[in-house]
Amino acid sequence: MSIIDRLLNIDSRIIYLLLFLALAFPILYPVVLPMEVQQYSLTAFEFVDDIPDGSYVLFDGGNTAATYPQGGPGMIVNIVHLLRKNCKVVIFSTSVECVPFNQQAIDDALEKLSSDVSAENGVNWVNLGYIGGGGESAVAAFVNDIRSVLEADYFGTPINDLPIMEGVNDASDFAAVMWWGGSQGSIPWGIRQIVEPFGVPMTGQCTTNEVPNYSPYISSGQLQGLIGGVRGSAEYEYLLNLPGPALGQAMATNFGGLLWMIAVVLGNAFYLIKRARGEE
Amino acid sequence: MMSDRLIKIQLPIILTAIIGLLMIVEHFIPMPQTVTNANVTIRSFNTIVSAGALILGVVILSISHLRTIMNRRGSWYYSIIYIVALVITAIFGFISIRDENFLFIYDNMTAPIGAALYSLTAFYITSAAYRVFRARNWSATTLLVSAFIVLAMLIPVGAIILPPVVPIGEWLRSYPSSAGFRGMIVGTSLGIIGLGVRVFSGRQKEHLGLRVEKQGES
Repeated sequence: MSIIDRLLNIDSRIIYLLLFLALAFPILYPVVLPMEVQQYSLTAFEFVDDIPDGSYVLFDGGNTAATYPQGGPGMIVNIVHLLRKNCKVVIFSTSVECVPFNQQAIDDALEKLSSDVSAENGVNWVNLGYIGGGGESAVAAFVNDIRSVLEADYFGTPINDLPIMEGVNDASDFAAVMWWGGSQGSIPWGIRQIVEPFGVPMTGQCTTNEVPNYSPYISSGQLQGLIGGVRGSAEYEYLLNLPGPALGQAMATNFGGLLWMIAVVLGNAFYLIKRARGEE
Repeated sequence: MMSDRLIKIQLPIILTAIIGLLMIVEHFIPMPQTVTNANVTIRSFNTIVSAGALILGVVILSISHLRTIMNRRGSWYYSIIYIVALVITAIFGFISIRDENFLFIYDNMTAPIGAALYSLTAFYITSAAYRVFRARNWSATTLLVSAFIVLAMLIPVGAIILPPVVPIGEWLRSYPSSAGFRGMIVGTSLGIIGLGVRVFSGRQKEHLGLRVEKQGES
């Protein structure tokens, strides 16, 4: 077996080890490399920034254990951003797995807020927990009549006892929607059930691999920018001037992505050498 | 026999068609308040039914695992782990979903396992990219170059190392990729409309568990 064949058939475990090192190193020893903010992230940030102070904002939290490391840091700074603007944040989820992560994001956001910002549970924010019903139909039921699908929030407090929910019962009561969809593929649910029927503008978040799926909605104006993956979260942290875990993880993405590119270039170089020798 | 068919086949089809049409019509034409209220009620039924379906799913899955354990089939010991995990988590969950022990399980087992499973994809993709992502012909080369540019654009340092990847990558994402996905969205939507028409007209009966009968009819 020639050396090229050996390199082409390298043990997968060596690639796994190299990737592990490429991802772990920048997390263990933070390296700050320059970064440019993407247009989608900038549009999403500016959309949130332009929401009138004190507005009601509907917030879908759809990040699970798998996607929270990517989306969680962005969710945290997004909640901080909204509460600093004195917005009333109404958080819900269409997946039972997401609910504790939403609460974790709220708790982490509250820790980042200065004492002069009002952030009282039930007054400035509420976690309504999980809406059953299997996705889009649950969203449809929820946004048309919140009280028809929910009686209490995540902590068991009846909705009618929550000051923030006074006079709020459908999507028309909100000025904007934040749709943190993770990898649920749920952003179109918000567009179909809220943006189009109620005319409420919306921005979203998804994992990096899902970003191209939603580019048609951005170009059509139905989605106001998009926070994509851990880089999107890092950019939000950067734009809000609130550095957090996403900036560190984005550096790991740098090294992991570079290794992927090197692997593809080397794999093709070895393949082309083999083909030039007439061995392929 | 006729009444049996009416209850098991025709009635569900008629109900599906009426409710489905009510939802569709309300979306396009302003309806009287009574119809809108009825639709809101019907939609809220869905959350209740899905909660029941969730319980049913857990029960059926548990029965299946219990049978596997009793018959010592295959990797039956994994079924014991499932049953033990279900019982312990359910007990703490019933006490309170804000219970310290429940959250301990969630934070220290569910979350890391979920994150680890998702993260493994990166390792498999990198290994697979090295082995099979080859410029074998013009189509594969186009895909390879596009993927390379888009990835270089997406990694934060990419724009610094290779500045031209940003405008080219943005163009790829905004035009060819967007056009492709738009086509997929339109195609899927037309397919859903077609499926809806078939379900409402009773031509599609698989959701009623009638695959065999349909084949017999045709």
